[in-house]
Parts: sequence; C-alpha cells; structure tokens
Amino acid sequence: MATTQTRYWQDLLPGECFETENITISRQDILDFAADFDPQPYHLNSEAAEESIFGGLCASGWHVTAVMMRLLTDTFTGQHIELLGSNGVSDLRWRKPVFAGDSLSARIKVVDHEAASADSPFGYINCDVEVDNQNGDQVIALTTSLMIGIEGGAANHG
Amino acid sequence: MDKPVYIRSRWFEDLPVGEFHVFGSYTFSEKEIVEFGRKYAPQIYHTDPEGARDTLYRGLIASGWHICAIWMRMMVDYMERFATGVQDGRRNGAGVGFQDLKWLKPVRPGHTLTFTYEIIKKDERVIRDRWGIIRSRNEAFNQYGELVFSFEIDILAERRPT
Repeated sequence: MATTQTRYWQDLLPGECFETENITISRQDILDFAADFDPQPYHLNSEAAEESIFGGLCASGWHVTAVMMRLLTDTFTGQHIELLGSNGVSDLRWRKPVFAGDSLSARIKVVDHEAASADSPFGYINCDVEVDNQNGDQVIALTTSLMIGIEGGAANHG
Repeated sequence: MDKPVYIRSRWFEDLPVGEFHVFGSYTFSEKEIVEFGRKYAPQIYHTDPEGARDTLYRGLIASGWHICAIWMRMMVDYMERFATGVQDGRRNGAGVGFQDLKWLKPVRPGHTLTFTYEIIKKDERVIRDRWGIIRSRNEAFNQYGELVFSFEIDILAERRPT
C-alpha cells in the first residue's frame, strides 16, 4: 500500500509484512556481476555451468543478495520509511540457484523491534526476508537487523 | 571453445581446521561505491558524495553488500593464485549460507580493507555423495586496523573420490 506520510521506527511493529515488486535477472546481468565480483565458471560460462552442481549458468549468490537489497530499498522508499542502514545478518541460506530470466520478489516480515541508545536517531527492526522466484520457489532466506529513522530523530538533517 | 578451467584446490579431507589466510586487500573508490549503490542500494549515503554529508554517516559509505561482493572477488582471485599448478584437486563448490554477519564500521572512499579467513569447522556429513561443508570465519580490517566486517560462511568442498 502506497502512502505519502513518513513512517517511523515507532510505526513498524512485529507482524507487519511488506511485499516487494519484481526484478528480472537477465543473462547479461549475471555475466556483468560475475565479471566484477565472482568470476567463477558457473557464473560466466554456460558449458562449465552445466557440469557444475548448479546444472546451468546461474547468478552469484552475492548478486542475489544485492538484488534483494534493491527490492527492499525500493519498497521502504515507497513506504516513506527512512532506512538508515543495517548492522548485520544473523543468518542467510542460499536455497536454490537463480537462472537467467528468473524474476525475483521478496517478502519482508518484521519480527522484532528494539530501541537503540536514548539519543539515537534510529531504532532497530529485525526482519525475516524471503526471496522467491517466479515459480514460488524460495531462493534465499535471511534474518537482518535494519536501522530505521525514529520520529523526531532528524537523522538526515543533522 | 576451450574446455573451461575450473579453479581447483585441495580436497575436503586435506583442509585443516585452524588454517588461517590473509587473502586480499582492496581499496574502495568513490566511483565504484556510487555505481554499486545506484544499482542495488539507492540511498543518498551510498549514491551522492555531497548529499551524504548531511546524513547520519557524514559522508559517502559503501553498501554492506558491496563489501560482501568484494570479499567474494578477493576470495576467487586468491583461490586462483593458490591453485596454480593443481591439476586434479577438488572443484570449488557453492556457498550454502552464512551466519553472524556484522557490518561494524563504515567503509568510505579510499579505505583499504584487508581480508582474512580461518577454517573453524568441518561438517562430516556427505552431501549428494561427494561434498562436505567447510565453515570459515572471515574478517576484514581497514587501514587503521579496525575490524569493520565479519561473518562465518559455509561452503561445499568436494571430497576425495574413493
């Protein structure tokens, strides 16, 4: 649901769920990311990939996490939520390979809500994030702690 | 087309717990930080060197996922060098997952990270007839010696054929 009103950390309570848009990953996207960051045969070369554990040319696992971040960022921006970063990921699983033409979307569920220090301009939310492909297969699942601007925090205006 | 050359290294059985490597150093440029931010994490503190001054971070910082991607690149480059001359060792396997990933300090343009890993655990379960799982603790330090990034990753490693 789109909104024009800023939503603060105080508003994001456990149980709230966000559905993101989709991003389709092309063969060229896979090759470009791999050339920069993960130049292994199964991300660069179809023939090598067919012999590999993945069974075909597939995206780097870190490409998938980067696309997850884009989906999450766009969704929070659309909701007027001030995302001020993340301090970590307690757990992440790569469950299925992502192949050229796959379309990914994420579901982000708030599972915990924790204040930072008294004078902090943000609070933490812990989120379970699941990324699915177009067939409804889960490709990654993770739990991450996000820093969200608080009401009266004015983090971006110092 | 030439037969693709796999990066090969030691079999699962030959990787000792406790082995420690300093495997790469990388200096982050403003241009690369902004490019990655625009593509994958479009927030002003990742995309706009001027605008970032007025944010919590008081300047441009790299996306945490950019740090992860550079970790991967350093690891691949190191494995290639380390594997030089190895003809029949294991092929690199896929990552299964990771835990306890922490982004502890901002990484800014011009910062140089040095990456280390230590093998901390071997999972003896046999997966799909031929793989074991190696767990390593990975850390990155900046040029001031501060720990900025750490995590533990599980990677499939091929077992010696019987």
